[in-house]
Amino acid sequence: MQKLLKLALMDFKLIFRDPSLKSFLALPLLLFAIVIFGFPYLVTEFEGVKPYLDVMMVVVLVENTQMFCFINSMVLLDEKETEVSKVYGIVPLSIFEFITSRFLFPYLFTLLLNVAMLEVQTFYEVPLMQNLLLSAIAALIVPVYALGINSFVKNRMQGMVYAKAFNILVLIPFAAFFVPEQFKWAFGLFPTHWLFQGMDQLLAGNSPFLNLGIATAYLLILLIVLSKTFKRSHFS
Amino acid sequence: MIKVENLVYTYPSNEAPTLKGLNFEINTGEVFGFLGPSGSGKSTAQKVLYKILKGFSGKVEVNGKDLTEWDNSYFEKIGVGFELPNHYMKLTGKENLELFASFYPKALSQSIESLFEMVDLTEAINKPVESYSKGMKMRLNFIRAIQHDPDILFFDEPTSGLDPVNAHKIKQHILNLKEAGKTIFVTTHSMETADHICDRVAFIVDGKLVATDSPQRLKHQYGKEAVKVELVKNEVQEFPLADIGNNQEFLTFIKGKEVKRMQTLDATLEEVFIKVTGKSLIG
Repeated sequence: MQKLLKLALMDFKLIFRDPSLKSFLALPLLLFAIVIFGFPYLVTEFEGVKPYLDVMMVVVLVENTQMFCFINSMVLLDEKETEVSKVYGIVPLSIFEFITSRFLFPYLFTLLLNVAMLEVQTFYEVPLMQNLLLSAIAALIVPVYALGINSFVKNRMQGMVYAKAFNILVLIPFAAFFVPEQFKWAFGLFPTHWLFQGMDQLLAGNSPFLNLGIATAYLLILLIVLSKTFKRSHFS
Repeated sequence: MIKVENLVYTYPSNEAPTLKGLNFEINTGEVFGFLGPSGSGKSTAQKVLYKILKGFSGKVEVNGKDLTEWDNSYFEKIGVGFELPNHYMKLTGKENLELFASFYPKALSQSIESLFEMVDLTEAINKPVESYSKGMKMRLNFIRAIQHDPDILFFDEPTSGLDPVNAHKIKQHILNLKEAGKTIFVTTHSMETADHICDRVAFIVDGKLVATDSPQRLKHQYGKEAVKVELVKNEVQEFPLADIGNNQEFLTFIKGKEVKRMQTLDATLEEVFIKVTGKSLIG
């Protein structure tokens, strides 16, 4: 527990001492402003927007996860660039402890942001338990994304490019809402597709559990696989 | 104690092995050095021993237990001083040390302040590492490696990037650790460092060990048992060391003349290395 807290605290110190990372902490504030002030304004001023509100909400929820996706990726890449990562290879810390330490707080923080986001929006009735479930699954994007980038990238500059690409990969399934029904499932290759569909079902008042179940399984499998590739690339 | 038998390691991206059947032992309380040019496999051998590189063949035993059977508790027993500084630049020296100290269950044997004092970094303790010079970062590497009082220490080029005064101090600290019973494995291409601190050295070239012995014995074996006398008026002559006190020719040569320089003709470790391997240590 002491190890976990020490590493988590150190991550926050690193974030607050790096102006570029610190500025990213403002992203959720922007998203909250959009949901609290922007969406009601849009719906009032432009009636045509209303049918797309659920889709917009889904995108906002996924974008909410992007703050820690980016920040954590950059902190780990900085570690790799300065070769501090090698030191973690020779301390009595298991890969499980390492990943838990680095991602537990960003995960919980992202989960809370998503819960708060669904609570402050005024368009949909989302039961608290379903809100918690959805937010918990969406927050899994954070470790998957950061471990994914750090498994394939060697430095921060490369990481910036990959972050753009990963951001697109996360949002590609958004297009499934605009294609004919028979093509929709082609997006199932992307784990966030199932999350998007589950969120949409939830906001529509339908059962989201099948989609959310697939999303959870998909993200957890990716998390396990990427933990292994990350271990190989990060510590040696 | 470390025992290595027929150690072979091939990097996944290479076809040819980097380590080609190494055999050596490091006794408890001994400073053992790997000497070799860049790319000879020195650091690779250390990385296998501190479990960063897996998938080797051969047998490696540490304290009587196969390396592959050691769990994470192995890392409590070892300390590693990396070749290049690797610290969190935005954190202070103290924060860096405290962070890594927190991973060890055993309390530190000495305070972080005294560790900083030991390597003359007291004034920099609360400064961010990004403001440190390379030499200061290397000293921070050194105290991070020893802070949890490990039994076995690996130092990769421990004096690299240090000025002569600090290099001397680090070498002295390594000798103090040896006195305290630590087992120390050093890799270096600095002959002077190896000669100063190592009980035994092994020459490694192209992944193979070509000689292993104490620096004294190697120098003796490959040197000349003679003394070279140079007079002020530039006369130079060599005399065998055996029974030199009764060597009339020697006594006559130096008698009543002004001697400029007198030296034994031991080989330097570098000369021995070149003789044994046919290669230079630089490059």
